[in-house]
Amino acid sequence: MRKFTRSQFLKTAVGAAFVAATKAFAAPLEAADKFFREPPWKRKKPYWGYAIDVTKCIGCGRCADACKNENDVPREPFYFRTWVERYILRRSGEVQVESPNGGIDPWSDIQDPETVTRSFFVPKLCNHCEHSPCVQVCPVGATFKSEDGVVLVDQKYCIGCRYCIQACPYGSRYFHPVKHVADKCTLCYHRIKRGQKTACVECCPTGARMFGDLSDPNSAISRFYEYEPTQVLKAHIGTEPKVVYKGITKEVR
Amino acid sequence: MKDIQHLLRVAVIFAAAIVGFLGIRHLLVPESFGKYGHYRAASVDEIAALPMRYAGEDACKRCHSQQAAEKAKSSHKRIACESCHGALLAHADNPRSDVKPRRPKEAEMRAFCGRCHARSVSKPAKFPQIDLAAHNPDAPCNMCHQPHQPM
Repeated sequence: MRKFTRSQFLKTAVGAAFVAATKAFAAPLEAADKFFREPPWKRKKPYWGYAIDVTKCIGCGRCADACKNENDVPREPFYFRTWVERYILRRSGEVQVESPNGGIDPWSDIQDPETVTRSFFVPKLCNHCEHSPCVQVCPVGATFKSEDGVVLVDQKYCIGCRYCIQACPYGSRYFHPVKHVADKCTLCYHRIKRGQKTACVECCPTGARMFGDLSDPNSAISRFYEYEPTQVLKAHIGTEPKVVYKGITKEVR
Repeated sequence: MKDIQHLLRVAVIFAAAIVGFLGIRHLLVPESFGKYGHYRAASVDEIAALPMRYAGEDACKRCHSQQAAEKAKSSHKRIACESCHGALLAHADNPRSDVKPRRPKEAEMRAFCGRCHARSVSKPAKFPQIDLAAHNPDAPCNMCHQPHQPM
């Protein structure tokens, strides 16, 4: 038998340990990799998503009004959980965006209509991001993403520091003037938990707004996500919004 | 032996500090904090328990089946009752309550229907729109069109 030197023994032992470790950790590593790569709605039920079909929106503002009724949002024209913007694109490249009282008040007449190339309405709301900047900056854990994918605010725990309002890239949060806490769209959590539609979806007369369970592959929302040409707002910042839009142009931010 | 006494003293101070920290932390951190993540788990249920204002169309149909049947045949079939008539859960729970369905008066009607049907280049071209100034400007809409059977 060949004599084993100390260095040979060490090399063999390290090699064997490495092979054993690779084999032992391969399965859990693969599982972890899959866990972080696949979207969360593949593993949690239910998981809520939202979609807006801009090609159906008529800018009636019923949604913004219904949201204020349902959620006790102050009536002043600065506080919105959802609102409607009108985009006017002109031949010169100029982009005009307006939202009179969040779209609840009538729209003004379009000036110089002959220079307009395109105009459409864009409803906006909290994007319920997978990687929410607002959740990341909250210093006390008062805003969070719930198990079913909805970004919520614990108003009893909120200290009113407004970091989240600054952090939101979509301007979806406001400071409640009476409660002195941050407030935002809850996806009508109190309604969807009872099996009702959100107030904005309920009141939308054209079906431009829809929401549903992304974990169900046969739900209308899953099909919309998979088959319609959709995009999200500010995709480049990596927040992974769960509000997708159909029919918007690159000018919409 | 003297040296160990020094160490014991420090150990006691450390132990007291740790117990004090844990005690204060226990008092300050809410009970359900951290159950699912870095937040108070009880707040999810609190938000879910908030009161509703809109009843949903199924609640309307229970009493107003005739209107619902009319609407179901019309081009307004996909519009929920409360989209025009307002938030009515209080009315659905107790029809005698002060919350009454919104029914636009004749004077407001053109503005009310116009919110959806006034002509605008921003609206989808297929959506039925009229020029409010040219389309029988003095007549209320329901002279010709019934909202539950508009055409």
